[in-house]
Amino acid sequence: MTSQALIFTLSALGISETVYLIKKRMLSQGPICIVGEDCTKVLTSKWSKIFIVPNDVLGLLFYIVCSSITAFLVIGIEPVWFFDITIKMLIILGSLLSVFLTYLQFKVIKAWCFWCLMSACTIWLMSVIILISKLY
Amino acid sequence: MVNKASYHILRVGMAITFIWIGILILKSPESWGGYLQPWAFSILPIPIEQAMISTAVLDIIIGIMFLIDWKTWLAGLLATLHISTVLTVSGITDITVRDIGLLAGCIVIMTESLPIYIKNKFKKNV
Repeated sequence: MTSQALIFTLSALGISETVYLIKKRMLSQGPICIVGEDCTKVLTSKWSKIFIVPNDVLGLLFYIVCSSITAFLVIGIEPVWFFDITIKMLIILGSLLSVFLTYLQFKVIKAWCFWCLMSACTIWLMSVIILISKLY
Repeated sequence: MVNKASYHILRVGMAITFIWIGILILKSPESWGGYLQPWAFSILPIPIEQAMISTAVLDIIIGIMFLIDWKTWLAGLLATLHISTVLTVSGITDITVRDIGLLAGCIVIMTESLPIYIKNKFKKNV
């Protein structure tokens, strides 16, 4: 229950963050860059989309699915085993994708985006919680 | 007025609280119904389980509106009325006293996110 509450909290943070980025993109405004000044450079680079889908939309979908599955697990909606495996797989995939996107910022784009890093940290924290809950 | 960053931290924090409470109520609506005062039971027009499920759905809707920052003032108004009702029907106990803090937070969110045309109406009347 504790791990589910933490994963849900992090997913909700991710939702609010990606919704903010989507709103700013739709208004053609740059987001407030709390640390550094390169948010716009990263968010407008050719790596800001996977195929034709913007990364912020993919992130929003990821967080919505994660929070929904966590809610299903807490309420006890069947099949629990399926939801349990799905959330773990999703978080592992999300973590790996975040490693790749962070690498792109570091080596390819050569600029750091505060919101992208925050999202990556959120997903990594979710995977750490999954790992710790497995150990105990 | 509240600092913009502080407002957003409060909004997201409230969103998580409302959605999570909604999920917990959906998990076991009967046990959450136990927090109601006996007099509140007698005036309920629907079974307690249905009433608690409706409460949970309202909590989740308010939480989502806070989270995505959509019609936040309306969500704040609903949340303020909702928490006031919860305080009334559950009474002041060791557990529910935290609702006073939630109520204050909801009022802050509501007043901070009021649309300008509503704020102007208040200003004209002063």
